[in-house]
Amino acid sequence: MTIPVFELLRPKTLAEASELLLKHGDDARLIAGGTTLVILMKQRTVYYPYLIDLQGISGLDHITADGEGLRIGAMATQRAVETSLLVRRSFPALADAFGKIGNVRVRTTATVGGNLAHADYRLDPPPVLLILGADLVLSSPKQTRTVPIKDFYRGLYETALEPGEILAEVRVPPAPEGSRTLYLKYSSLSANDWPCLGVAALLKGNAKRCDELRLGVGGLAEKPLLIEGLELARNETITDSLLDEIARLVDEQISPISDLRGSEWYKREMARVFVKRAICALAEEDPHL
Amino acid sequence: MKKLTLTLSLKGEGRVRVKRLRDYVMADFSVVGHSVYRKDAAQKATGQVLHVGNIEMSGMLHVAVLRSPYPHAQITRIDKARAQALDGVAAVLTGADVAAMPGVDPYYGPAFRDQPILAVDRVRHIGEPVVAVAAADRRLAEDALQLVEIEYEPLPPVLDVLEAVKPESPVLHPKLRAAGTFADLAHVRAGQSSNVCYHFKLRKGDVEKAFAEADRVFEDTFRSPPAQHVPMEPHITLAYLDESQRINVWSATQTPSYVRTELSAIFGLPMNRIRIRVPYLGGGYGAKLYAKLEPLVTALALITRQPVRYALTREEEFVTITKHGVVAKLKTAVKGGAITARKCEVYWDTGAYAEIGPRIVHKSGYTSAGPYRMPNVWIDGYCVYTNKPPAGAFRGFGVPQVIWAYDSQMDIIARALGADPVEFRLRHALDEGEAFATGTPVRAFGLKPAISRAAEAIGWSKPKTASSGAKARGRGIASGVKAVLTPSISGAIVTMSADGSVNILSSTVEMGQGAETMMAQIVAEELGVAFDQVHIVQPDTDITPYDTITAGSRSTYHMGNAVRMAAAKIKSELAAVVAAKLEVNPEDLVAQGRRIFVRGSPERGMTIGEAFLAKFGSLGTTLTGEAICQTTAIPMDPETGQSEKCTEYWFPSATAVELEVDTETGQVDILKFFAVGDAGTAINPKHCEQQLLGSAITHLGLTLFEEMVFEEGRLLNGSLLDYQIPSIKDMPKEFRSIVVQVPHESGPFGAKGIGETGALTVSAAIANAIEDAVGIRIRDLPITPERILSHLAARREKEAHRKSS
Ligand SMILES: Cc1cc2nc3c(=O)[nH]c(=O)nc-3n(C[C@H](O)[C@H](O)[C@H](O)COP(=O)(O)OP(=O)(O)OC[C@H]3O[C@@H](n4cnc5c(N)ncnc54)[C@H](O)[C@@H]3O)c2cc1C
Repeated sequence: MTIPVFELLRPKTLAEASELLLKHGDDARLIAGGTTLVILMKQRTVYYPYLIDLQGISGLDHITADGEGLRIGAMATQRAVETSLLVRRSFPALADAFGKIGNVRVRTTATVGGNLAHADYRLDPPPVLLILGADLVLSSPKQTRTVPIKDFYRGLYETALEPGEILAEVRVPPAPEGSRTLYLKYSSLSANDWPCLGVAALLKGNAKRCDELRLGVGGLAEKPLLIEGLELARNETITDSLLDEIARLVDEQISPISDLRGSEWYKREMARVFVKRAICALAEEDPHL
Repeated sequence: MKKLTLTLSLKGEGRVRVKRLRDYVMADFSVVGHSVYRKDAAQKATGQVLHVGNIEMSGMLHVAVLRSPYPHAQITRIDKARAQALDGVAAVLTGADVAAMPGVDPYYGPAFRDQPILAVDRVRHIGEPVVAVAAADRRLAEDALQLVEIEYEPLPPVLDVLEAVKPESPVLHPKLRAAGTFADLAHVRAGQSSNVCYHFKLRKGDVEKAFAEADRVFEDTFRSPPAQHVPMEPHITLAYLDESQRINVWSATQTPSYVRTELSAIFGLPMNRIRIRVPYLGGGYGAKLYAKLEPLVTALALITRQPVRYALTREEEFVTITKHGVVAKLKTAVKGGAITARKCEVYWDTGAYAEIGPRIVHKSGYTSAGPYRMPNVWIDGYCVYTNKPPAGAFRGFGVPQVIWAYDSQMDIIARALGADPVEFRLRHALDEGEAFATGTPVRAFGLKPAISRAAEAIGWSKPKTASSGAKARGRGIASGVKAVLTPSISGAIVTMSADGSVNILSSTVEMGQGAETMMAQIVAEELGVAFDQVHIVQPDTDITPYDTITAGSRSTYHMGNAVRMAAAKIKSELAAVVAAKLEVNPEDLVAQGRRIFVRGSPERGMTIGEAFLAKFGSLGTTLTGEAICQTTAIPMDPETGQSEKCTEYWFPSATAVELEVDTETGQVDILKFFAVGDAGTAINPKHCEQQLLGSAITHLGLTLFEEMVFEEGRLLNGSLLDYQIPSIKDMPKEFRSIVVQVPHESGPFGAKGIGETGALTVSAAIANAIEDAVGIRIRDLPITPERILSHLAARREKEAHRKSS
């Protein structure tokens, strides 16, 4: 469990980091918190002669808010998001999702960018960012572009990042007035484990009348998914039959991978249970009822 | 679901005995029976502890090992030239190289010499060591491994224990050599034509007749999977040649004496040319028994003539040693509401090498029918080779696997008969002096008190809190026993200096269980000195005497007796001096408060220092006592498993749980958990409670989610990223232990042991509570949420089918 000799490159700017990525191509990899990359390199499953360290680039770990919403720098630690008053006040479900990652030792070291870019199919934060309609800012020497998070994930460990591109920032627009969000993480083995699946829900309205519903799920396909077609719930009363209909919709869109934390059958069952639980919890929580 | 009615009174005779004992402990002793702090607490809390991993030596080489990617294959070619040429590489070793070392036996193992130090010609499991590199640092060693080329010719693997016993199955070991460690294995010549390397038989009465005459017969198959010990400190060994060219080994092992014997056999050297030292272990749980890394590291030290250290990675740990996967088929006859016969067919998956498997099948196999009264018993235990990593001892030594089977079935039967599970167990539980299935009368047998205390703690006679919504509540109980490994030997030396300070020389390994504290308490009590005046010299085969093993909950009894007897010798020498001076009978003297005085008149006596001065007339003198505790058994009849004394004593265990099952997800939430065990006299009550809880936590994980998942012989979850162990968040809401104390007449101050007792009955208690909650019976471990949900779904489907037809 050691890493073969490699060179650690320490750029001072994003542009410099991108140049290095382009220069070394497949021989180089960005390293942020290193929590995932170092394990893989120690197992000698992957090897890169050059690691490009993002730690030395200033201005990448901010958490700020303005009228356009929240901005989180890619190098902000997961723990910083979890404990940020700003995030907890405006997007409690997001703070909660970051706070449910692995354990506190991982969260203190690992970064927001490292998590999102890793593109594991079970990550906790993406479902919440999906329902919040977050945008990801991707930086390269040529251009800086903004990609909606739902277009960022392409497949298993596959993202929209082009060669030389670096995930620089996450932008979360203000949530719809009067909406509430929730993230349910379900671990089927030890309580400390990766999720079997995660469900994020956003509800505007209440049990009597749903103005808007959004659902994001993790662990239920090769990539995190934003559930489509939820307009059917608009202006409806949240009844058992509506919940069944929503669950059916979810079931049609997911394609769970059988793994150590659950078979496809089990994950489909759990998707139904946790989607319903998330919606019911939000519906019941309405302070105006 | 059927309502169970409770008819028993919980104030059985067991409780009275418990009380009486507690009085006796508290009244008579000043150190024993008190929850003094651990000897090693301050050191451990401040990070001052010596572990093998902290030892650095100049010129020390580091090892990395190339392991088999196939479950079963012939090695056709190894090319190590490029690795050998790498700068900083001191040695690249193959199985053929080991075999070519003059006078070296390339095979080892405690039961059979079936395991090669490095694979010779054939590999038998994924992860088997094939090539070892010793280099200036670990990274270099791993770099060198990537330059080694090996070609394999895959062979058909044997992956399932029930397939492995079929006549058409490929045979892993066409020839077997007994290791000579165990007298009763010497005659075993099995294995030539089958993968069964050991077959244990017990025959009592006439089971077939009982089945024919039974009112009802119950047949069930229970499974438990291979699993990991996960000690915090992985295996590690450091070996070097000292200035007299003797082999010196520092190793994280639970068996220093055995390792010395094994190295002496492998390398053909006199025992005093080998020195094994063991500092504190970061946990063992059975993983660190017998030889593990020591043969390989010693071979490398001999070849390179440099210090060599090998520390396993966690990933390597997974393919080094495992817990036996077991398939247990139980058939039980009931007549007139009582069990009349039980037949157990138990298949133990010992993996590619027998390890200590045959001992487990024998020593734990004989308890497969349970500690219950039944006139007819038939047990077949099969130790079976498969192409998986070797399985060895695991906290409980196989007993948790058989209790999982028999105490799940006890509940199945009780429910089917409409009997209360607690009452049903108490009615069948063996009484003091009654014969176990082996014909051995049980002694100091706190089984009934353990069951009663568990039931009382969980509030068995009171109605349980009602279930609500999707959550269903249930309560469950399980009981069982383990027998202590017998025969075995513990030797100890105690030295006392003229100032009353004491050293204990013992080969018992401190691995977190508190053995040092136990020894110090016993010796302080015996010699009448303060607990803090006692120091423990850690295992060092040059100076600490032979001890069979630190395992099997045996140290408190065996080593406790040995250190007590050794201390008693010193006490009697001092008493002789005092008696002569004071002209009193030495029998009337007691040692207490650092003095030796006439019982009842403390002023008539001497301090320890005065007694030394009186004896030697000189300062700085020492007295030494040495003693051996050796237990004996009457060998079992190989055909019937009968013996008037198969074990020295027993560890009765009970667990009671209350839990909630989420019927929508299958998730189990344990609300209350009581781990109950009969320790004999608790030398340190707090430690006993902690041991019960610690071993219960281990088995909580094993019950609910731990499992090594294999696919085609490949381990799918061979790291802690995927193999889950219980975290603090998985603990039961209310989690307590209860120490039952039924003293053993020849234990030190009546003590037996407690290291595994809390582990034994966890799985069955949880499965029983799940049936109580949701009416389904799980027979396969682990009981994951998915497993529960799929049972619930299957039942729903069946019901729907029944309604529609
Ligand atoms: C024990 C453990 C448990 C875990 N449990 C969970 C869990 O329950 N839920 C969960 O969601 N996650 C979990 N994780 C994953 C954890 O969040 C990751 O370790 C984290 O996602 C990686 O972050 P990092 O900053 O350490 O990234 P690194 O390891 O440094 O990098 C990860 C990958 O992202 C790339 N990368 C990093 N930053 C950028 C960037 N700015 N732009 C482009 N590419 C980039 C790297 O090149 C690399 O490929 C767990 C991890 C561990 C070790």
